[in-house]
Amino acid sequence: MAMGPLITAAAALAGLNVLLLLPLVGVWVRNFTTFRSGLVGGLLTFAVAMLVENALALYFFFSMQSFYAGDPHVQQAVLVLRTVQFVAIAVLSYSTLR
Amino acid sequence: MEKALWYLLTATRGGANRARIIDALSERPMNANELAQELDVGYKTIRHHVELLEEHDVVESGDESYAKLYFLTDRFDNYRDTFEQIVAQMDE
Repeated sequence: MAMGPLITAAAALAGLNVLLLLPLVGVWVRNFTTFRSGLVGGLLTFAVAMLVENALALYFFFSMQSFYAGDPHVQQAVLVLRTVQFVAIAVLSYSTLR
Repeated sequence: MEKALWYLLTATRGGANRARIIDALSERPMNANELAQELDVGYKTIRHHVELLEEHDVVESGDESYAKLYFLTDRFDNYRDTFEQIVAQMDE
């Protein structure tokens, strides 16, 4: 059974979020080994949690399609949530990689 | 300022280089070219870092239009302890 276009878009955004989070995790791992600061530790934990969250979302999109298929409103809500999260991570990336 | 220093120097990609710039300017005021030579970093990179440090009121520049000198601000001097704390962790 094919995924609906809304869920496909949400899955693409989750994939994009993972791609954005990887360099962030990289920067913070490196800086944590340099500085050992609580601030960087917190940021690193945050980024890893977000990475896990997006990976799980991707897994759910692919494995539980029947869960989303019945209701376009659910699909819309899921897409909105992924979009907002993408904006958040993109802005954080910009600030961090400058 | 204290939080800004932690963020600028430890939480971002260019943080370590920014810390080295502050370190160099603690010796004496320098222009971007001197900083680039001192730290063995490209001129454009130096300009970028210095702009960010200026944005956060850590560094200020003289008014020459050519070979502008960069200084640490008085405000930064009040937080030198914070800075020392940050670089102490760097050297380990």
